[in-house]
Amino acid sequence: MNENKTVVRLENVGLRYGRGHEVLKDINLQLDAGSFQFLTGPSGAGKTSLLRLLFLSLKPTRGLINMFGQDVASIPPAKMPFIRRRIGVVFQDFRLLDHLTTFQNIALPLRVAGQKEKQYRSDVMDLVSWVGLKDHANAYPPVLSGGEKQRAAIARAVITQPDLLLADEPTGNVDPDLALRLLRLFAELNKLGTTVVIATHDTNLIRNSDYNVMELANGELEYGC
Amino acid sequence: MAASKTGTGLLPRSQMPLKTLMIAMTIMCYLASLSIGALVLINQAVDKWSSDIAGEITIQIRQLDGKDIEERVSKAKTLLDQVKGVTKVEVLDKTAGAKLLEPWLGKSNIISELPIPRLLAVTINRASPPDFGLLEKQLQQAVKGASLDTHRRWQAELTRMGTSLKWLGYSVLMLIVLSAIALVIYASRSALEANRHTVEVLHFVGATDPYIARQVQWQFLLAGLKSGIAGMAMGVLTFLILGLSTATAASSGFVEASYSLLLGAPEVNYISYMLFFLIPLVATLICLIAARLAIMRILQNAI
Ligand SMILES: Nc1ncnc2c1ncn2[C@@H]1O[C@H](COP(=O)(O)OP(=O)(O)OP(=O)(O)O)[C@@H](O)[C@H]1O
Ligand SMILES: [Mg+2]
Repeated sequence: MNENKTVVRLENVGLRYGRGHEVLKDINLQLDAGSFQFLTGPSGAGKTSLLRLLFLSLKPTRGLINMFGQDVASIPPAKMPFIRRRIGVVFQDFRLLDHLTTFQNIALPLRVAGQKEKQYRSDVMDLVSWVGLKDHANAYPPVLSGGEKQRAAIARAVITQPDLLLADEPTGNVDPDLALRLLRLFAELNKLGTTVVIATHDTNLIRNSDYNVMELANGELEYGC
Repeated sequence: MAASKTGTGLLPRSQMPLKTLMIAMTIMCYLASLSIGALVLINQAVDKWSSDIAGEITIQIRQLDGKDIEERVSKAKTLLDQVKGVTKVEVLDKTAGAKLLEPWLGKSNIISELPIPRLLAVTINRASPPDFGLLEKQLQQAVKGASLDTHRRWQAELTRMGTSLKWLGYSVLMLIVLSAIALVIYASRSALEANRHTVEVLHFVGATDPYIARQVQWQFLLAGLKSGIAGMAMGVLTFLILGLSTATAASSGFVEASYSLLLGAPEVNYISYMLFFLIPLVATLICLIAARLAIMRILQNAI
């Protein structure tokens, strides 16, 4: 099963927005299949930017990005969606669709992949219950609390059991207990083979686990313990 | 359609700038139906004029000093009676020519003293008309002062006018189609702009461009169909009112044609109706195809 041991490889990647300064400089990074990484760094250090490079929503200004053994620059646009389907993303600002219910939001990746509701209904409901949103399954995001939205966003990212999970500050809006519960969800997914990267300020979360930590500072990546 | 069932609903209908598009498209379709109607009427009117004219020619015999006009008139009639393709020759009496001048000269004796030419109305068998050129030559040799007026000049002018009007009509139709396409492209752009956030999220969860395009294009298709039908209905109504309000007036080719176009006179050709029904079809196709192409293009440039 493990023919592609490296899920992500970045070589000398640099990124700047427009004509601004370089937000990321000379990033070299390798994520092995099944690894679990924290990504920390002060606000504005470029964590979100790095994750955006990883889920193909930005192109680097220089350097090489290789995902699942393919050079990203050489992937034709029509193939991009199929790469994205292997990546689950939790956005810092959730990005739920306000006109869909919680259930529909969480089921969205399955739906756009062409599955019928009959096929996925019970799986999605299980996950909805697991993240504690059973009573809100038919509610719309605008009436959910910050933490509830966060859980919905996480559920949407993991529903497909992606090969790579990128979570940007996934515990920023929940209490410490729930944060640890969500971390367990990520850990379990990781055990099933998903490569996980979590960007966070939450030192409590990092302290409570023994995963690798990378730190971004001044646009450069440093590997911690 | 299966695609629309799984497809619709991911982009909220309320955030589609479809109302504006539908108003503009309805107007476009109305204008298109007016041009098509005008084209049909021009065609019919020109047909009618030219067939009427070709069915009858006039022979004119001028007064000449010292020549008996009556003798020449009867000579011409005898000649014409023998020509194949002529079904009837009618010698108009002296006053017929004078009557033509009445509007200018009034009813007075001057007219009878003027050297007014005599006229012969010749009815032609339309199925096998005589050779007008030959006929004219024969006439001029046999009868001094005779000339043949086949109304050909008129016919040519009418045909020329009709043809340029037709081209005008086609150009107007072409412009309408082009503006409609531009409208749809513009509307697709703003539809995606209004749903930027949703489109972004759909991209992130792995939706393909054709999938996203499907979410939008069915709504455009429906908008096209609705405005096409509305515009066509307005157009037909306009011609109906036009036809009814002028039906009682003296029948010129145009009014008669517009009257018969709508009230189903026997000579009405069904192709005219087909052209009207083409409007919703074309509007729907324009909306579907232009929206699809525009959306796919925008999405491909999105990232
Ligand atoms: N779209 C953008 N256009 C221009 N500059 C941007 C854009 N997005 C981010 N930046 C800049 O890039 C830098 C890194 O931003 P980024 O969002 O990656 O930081 P971060 O580490 O995620 O911060 P936080 O912890 O506050 O979320 C910041 O200086 C920010 O102002
Ligand atoms: Mg961030």
